[in-house]
Order: sequence, then structure tokens, then C-alpha cells
Amino acid sequence: MLPDPGPAAQAPAHIVAQGVCVDFKVGNRVNRVLHDVSLSVPKGGFASLIGPSGCGKSTLLKVLAGLLPPTAGRVSIAGLAPMEAVRQRRIGIVFQEATLLPWKNALDNVALLMEVAHAGRSKDEIRARAVDMLRLVGLEHAADKRPAQLSGGMRQRVSIARALALDPEVLMMDEPFGALDAITREEMSTFLLEIWERTQKTIVLVTHSIDEAVFLSREVHVMRANPAQIIEAMPIALAYPRTEESYGEHEFAQATTHLRRLLKEGHRATQPQAPRRVATA
Amino acid sequence: MSTVADSRTDGPLSNGGLRAGLSGLVPAAGLLLGSLLLWEAIARVFKLPEFVLPTPTSILTVLVAQQRELAMAAYVTASEVVVGFLLSAVVGAFVALVIARFTGFGRALYPLVVLFQTVPKIALAPLFILWFGFDLAPKVALIVVIAFFPVAINMLMGLQRVDPNLVTLMRSVGASNNEILLRIQLPHSLPYLMAGLKVAVTLAVIGAIVGEFAGAQAGLGYLIQFASTQMQTPLVFAAVLEVSVLGVLFYYVIEFLEWRYVGWGPSTS
Repeated sequence: MLPDPGPAAQAPAHIVAQGVCVDFKVGNRVNRVLHDVSLSVPKGGFASLIGPSGCGKSTLLKVLAGLLPPTAGRVSIAGLAPMEAVRQRRIGIVFQEATLLPWKNALDNVALLMEVAHAGRSKDEIRARAVDMLRLVGLEHAADKRPAQLSGGMRQRVSIARALALDPEVLMMDEPFGALDAITREEMSTFLLEIWERTQKTIVLVTHSIDEAVFLSREVHVMRANPAQIIEAMPIALAYPRTEESYGEHEFAQATTHLRRLLKEGHRATQPQAPRRVATA
Repeated sequence: MSTVADSRTDGPLSNGGLRAGLSGLVPAAGLLLGSLLLWEAIARVFKLPEFVLPTPTSILTVLVAQQRELAMAAYVTASEVVVGFLLSAVVGAFVALVIARFTGFGRALYPLVVLFQTVPKIALAPLFILWFGFDLAPKVALIVVIAFFPVAINMLMGLQRVDPNLVTLMRSVGASNNEILLRIQLPHSLPYLMAGLKVAVTLAVIGAIVGEFAGAQAGLGYLIQFASTQMQTPLVFAAVLEVSVLGVLFYYVIEFLEWRYVGWGPSTS
């Protein structure tokens, strides 16, 4: 097995990235989007990726989710290469936008990916599973509502239900609450923790919000830009289950203060036009 | 009013919206009536000859007196429009589907379709008469070359503007191109298709009239041309009026179908 660098790793590593580099070619120039990124998330863990805009955190998530092959380095999800993990439906994805089909109701939206993935299964079976998933996200009453009739938070719940319907081991979430207002955001955070505790999924979350990262995660990976790297993997000492009160606790304040300082330092470091590293891979 | 409109949010034209739309017509009707009265007054006061500018009342008289002749002409034109429009819809949708589904071939076809759009198609009318005779066929052909383009372009936009993340999700569960086309792209394109059809149906009416101008033995376009050579100006106006009524009728048929079947509106996520 791969070595386990994460200090918060109590369970065996479920997601491992080692020396991941991603280059984008723009004409003749090579842009290094990720430089030598390593991280490890234990099974059933909750890790956040946080950093300034353009630091490559969404790119890293894409690499982990098997949507983008890295230029260098290796990634494994449950011991599999990401592409293989995708093929075996081990990975569920949630985007910032709910990306639902506007002409289908909530239930049919949840069923959509199952209908493709489980073409052999009966309609009733798929429907029953979709109903279960809607119940899990607390939307059984809204099964026949179309996305336009749902609030932003409800739409995102449907999107999470759709991802969970295929029973993936890992949930990759790219700023899933970024488009929601502050109050809904906090509600969704509490909701996501409930889902996490009940389903025992391994979750990787990309976020801009320090509070969100601290409130949700067991470990926060702080990134900086130029070169895009993880500068610290910070375990959050706050005890689970976390509730509204957790925001007021000492550990919460400590963690957010530390994160804020790290992000500011990273931000300051990138301000002068530092020469970009040239790709050597 | 707002409470009625809010009670149904599944369509841009809910019942409340339709009623609001009708009550919105009141000022327009008032303005129209006022203009007609002014027209009548000017024509009478200045004693304009009827073959130059007939009064609204004399046009109305012709509308009633020659209603059989007008109705038969309208029937001919309406059939041309319906057949031509339906064929435009089929051709337009087919072109869009081919370009979207077979991207390689689509890259070759798309510029040619756009190039063809720059041909002044009205100039083709005499050719179509030469090729297809004086009956339905040349008019239908002219309508199709005029009206398929907005259908094709709009539908193509709808097919291509699907959320890339949704396509990513579909691919991640092993969906084929055909599955993505059927489950995502095609339904997503329907509101765009309807917008294209609305443009196409008004172009189809124009195509039918132009086709009849170029050579016909019946129809409203033929009647307009015939009546103007006979200095029967009130009949010209009456026929023009019926052309507009046809156009409006067809337009609202599409509008109704849109409200009934693609009520989720233009691509809201």
C-alpha cells in the first residue's frame, strides 16, 4: 500500500494523490496548474480543499474524480486508478450548480444516472431507489416538483441524492453551496454532515469558505497559487457531531484564525509577479 | 393579478399570464380603432379615389361581399403554408440533428448551410416555377428554403448548449452519444426549436405569398396581384388583411403548443 502522510488518518487511506502535476498547454507555453500535490484522505473521511481563486483546487478535484488525467504523479481511489474508479461507479460528483434537467421532476432527475448505469434493472427498482434517496435528503414530499419549483438549496439536495443513488464510495463536491445564500449555506452544511454520518461516504469538498471548511471537515487542505500546491494539511480538532453551537466553540475560532492567516500569507506570497515554474515533467 | 400568476409557475404563459396577456390587448385595440377612424375620416374628407386609398368601411364591405372568393384563396394559401411549414420543420430539425450528432460532418455542413442562407431565396421563385409548375410544389419548395434556416439554427443552439457538467455526469456512468442526445440534448433543444418554429411560420406565410406572386392560379397572393391589376384596391386590402390573420393564427398555434408541451421554458436549470 501507499504511505500515509496525513496526520489525521485513522482509517486506511481511501484517496491518495502523490506528486500530482497538471500542465495546460496554451499555444507554445506550458501553464503549470498543479505542482507536486500530494494528499491522502482516509476511508469515511471528510476533506476540504481551500485556497484563493485560480489556485487549482477545482482542477485537483477533477483529477481526483477521474475527469482529468494528471500530467505527472499518481492518484488512487480505493486502490484503483481514477478512470477505473469512475467506471466502477465508485465516485459521485456534485457541482456548484445542481445541473438538473428542467423538464424532469425531482424523482426522475434522481433516477437519471441510474437509468443509464443500471440499464438492466427494472423501472420499479430504479424508482424505489430514487424514492429512498429523496427521503434521505428530506425531499420525499417534492418528488413530483420540477427544478423551477424548488429553491436553490432543494435543487442541490436533489443533485446530492442523484450522486448518492449510484452508491459511490466517494463524493466529490465542487463548491456545492457556492451559489446559495448564507443561511441556506449553513443549513446545507448541517444537512451534509448528517448525510455523511448516515452514509459513511468519503467526501472531498472544494470551497471558498473558511467557516464551511472548518465546520465540515476532519482535515482541511490549504492551497496556494503560483505554484499551485498544498501548503498545509490541517486537522480540525472540533468534535463530531457538529451542530450550530460548534461555530461558537474555541476550536472553531482557533482553526478559522489559523486558516485565515495561512490563506493571507499565501495570497501575499503570490502578489509580486513571481516567475512561473517551467514544466520539467 | 399577481396571485393568479403565482399559482402556477410551470409555464411562461400560465392561465393567469394568458388572461393578463388578453387584458394587455385592450390599449392596443383602442389605438387600432382610433387609427381606423382617423383613416376613414382622412379618406372621406379629402375624397381620395377608392383605387388609391379605400376607406376601412369599403374594405369591410368587400370582406363580407366577396367572402367566398377570399375564403377559397385563403384555403389555398393556408395549405401551402401548412405543408411548407411542416416540411421546413422536418428539414430544419434534421439538419440540426445531423450537425449536432455527427460533429465531423457537421463542421463541413454548417458553413454551407450558413452560406445558403445568404442566397436571396426570393430570387429562386421563378426557378421553382420552371421546375415544379404552378401548383402547390413550387410554393412549398420556396417556403422550405426560406423557413428551414431559423428552425435548424435555433434547434442546433439548443442541442449544443447543454450543461457540460451534465454531459460529464452522463459520460461518467457510461452513457453513449446517442443516449446523451436522446436524454439530454433533444429535450433541451425543444424550447429553442419552438422559438425557431415561431420565426419559421411567419416566414412560411411570406414564402407562400411570394411564391404566388411568381406564378399561381389561386391563393391570396394571386388574388392580391390580380385585384391590383384590376384596380380593385379594396379587395387588395381585404386579401392582405386575411394574409395577416393567417400569419397571426399560425403563430398562436405554435405559441399554444409551446405553452402546452415545453412549459419548462427556455433552458432554466
